[in-house]
Amino acid sequence: MDERKILLREDEMPRQWYNILADIAMNPPLGPDGNPVTPEQLAPVFPMNLIEQEVSTERWIDIPEPVMDVLKIWRPAPLVRARNLEKALGTPAKIYFKNESLSPPGSHKPNTAVAQVYYNKEFGIKRITTETGAGQWGSALSFACAQFGLECKIYMVRVSFDQKPYRKSMMATWGGNCIPSPSPETRAGRAALEKDPNTPGSLGIAISEAIEEAVADESGQTRYSLGSVLNHVMLHQTIIGLEAKKQMEKIGQYPDIIIGCAGGGSNFAGLAFPFVHDKINGKQIEIYPVEPAGCPTLTKAPFVYDHGDTAKYTPLLPMHSLGHAFVPPPIHSGGLRYHGMAPTVSQLVDEGLLTPKSVKQKEVFEAGILLARTEGIIPAPETNHALAAVVDEARKAKEEGKEKVILFNWSGHGLLDLTAYENYLAGNLKDIVLSDEEIAEAGKIYADHPKPASLKSRK
Amino acid sequence: MTDPTIENLETRCPRLGSPITFQYCLISGEDDTICWKVLDCWWERFDVENYLKSNMSEAEFNQLMARAEKPKNKVSSILEIVKEAKKRVEG
Repeated sequence: MDERKILLREDEMPRQWYNILADIAMNPPLGPDGNPVTPEQLAPVFPMNLIEQEVSTERWIDIPEPVMDVLKIWRPAPLVRARNLEKALGTPAKIYFKNESLSPPGSHKPNTAVAQVYYNKEFGIKRITTETGAGQWGSALSFACAQFGLECKIYMVRVSFDQKPYRKSMMATWGGNCIPSPSPETRAGRAALEKDPNTPGSLGIAISEAIEEAVADESGQTRYSLGSVLNHVMLHQTIIGLEAKKQMEKIGQYPDIIIGCAGGGSNFAGLAFPFVHDKINGKQIEIYPVEPAGCPTLTKAPFVYDHGDTAKYTPLLPMHSLGHAFVPPPIHSGGLRYHGMAPTVSQLVDEGLLTPKSVKQKEVFEAGILLARTEGIIPAPETNHALAAVVDEARKAKEEGKEKVILFNWSGHGLLDLTAYENYLAGNLKDIVLSDEEIAEAGKIYADHPKPASLKSRK
Repeated sequence: MTDPTIENLETRCPRLGSPITFQYCLISGEDDTICWKVLDCWWERFDVENYLKSNMSEAEFNQLMARAEKPKNKVSSILEIVKEAKKRVEG
């Protein structure tokens, strides 16, 4: 009987992170002035030891012992054979996942939070600020700060703060000070509240508040932390894929297909980058970052922009509406257009080492429900994007009669995201088809609404 | 006055990770403008493109499309926010 969980002992944990920047050429990030960003420009918000990691091209970077010690609270994470899912789908594919939902905050995020807090502490930082949407990142950072004895201040977007009281409680339990944004504690927050005291807030305001607090600390003991996108975040997450490689070696397997959901890119990169390294060195492997299906008008743009225009406001060629009859296939090629996407992931797509896939909302939740009912864990809604692609690949393997080995990242659980499931189960995700008359009528109503006044042009 | 069939529709915001209404998308972008992901997030539910076109000038709509098609990179955004924060703190 095959083992269901493939485990590593603590002494088998990887001792180094894998840095993809050693193996790919990247253009330096450009600042607002169009010139390459220098480490000094980032110094007001990040400690220099993390900035050095951000630009390092060393292939292997040692994981400090104190970081290892905290990671061992839940790592090594098990590699799990999704046998019930295989059975439910009747597929000959062998499906494995890394279970990142077992961390204390319930997602992959603490893999980098722990490392970031450690490096901040080493640099002499006493206080870390950040923003959070629904609270996953804020929870991870609060947990990590508790482990190393740093203060943590989290600006949580008001609309989420009001919806997710348990996330706030989780952060508070770990000692994190989570406040709704906009807040009266920063100039950016006060300005937003002055404009509209009942504003639901936005990520943009929350980031401004977190960064302002770091910049305003004259003692130099406060820094800002970001949980995705940046190179050092991807680096810290590679422990996921490095563990997975060891675990697959233990059972004499190697994946044909790697799948991860790609929001900001960190959980995907964490699993995939160590396998990208193999692919660069000749391994035959398909690697799929999965994103929500974008608007076809944008992804299959029938118009052309003059990208030489730095103001980005060049006229567009005439566009056609989607129309009511347009139905794209459930799984189709994506483009990873999200600006929050890690540049390293985008670069690997450009180089043809990754093949983006995208999935539609309903398939995403159908897959989430199927996995919850077969493998038992209620997935985080973003994880469901990967699951939809896994189900699709498993069905393809069945059609082709191939025993493919599929490996994916179960990036987190959804126990604090049940509203999304509630909406799906209540049938609230159904499509709304408006007639032209209804749209015209909606337009009339909208014309009287105060909000359109805010549809102002970008400065 | 709102259009209950549209502006109160709910979806999960991929940036926040929380359920939000379409109304929120109209004000949660940069400087209280429409979020640039609004087309990606809503096109499956209703003809959001036509809806917005009916309620914005052509120039406004084109600017929204431009933001959606060619957004800023994260590091550049952070540096801009740092610059603005310094101005506020020092100003």
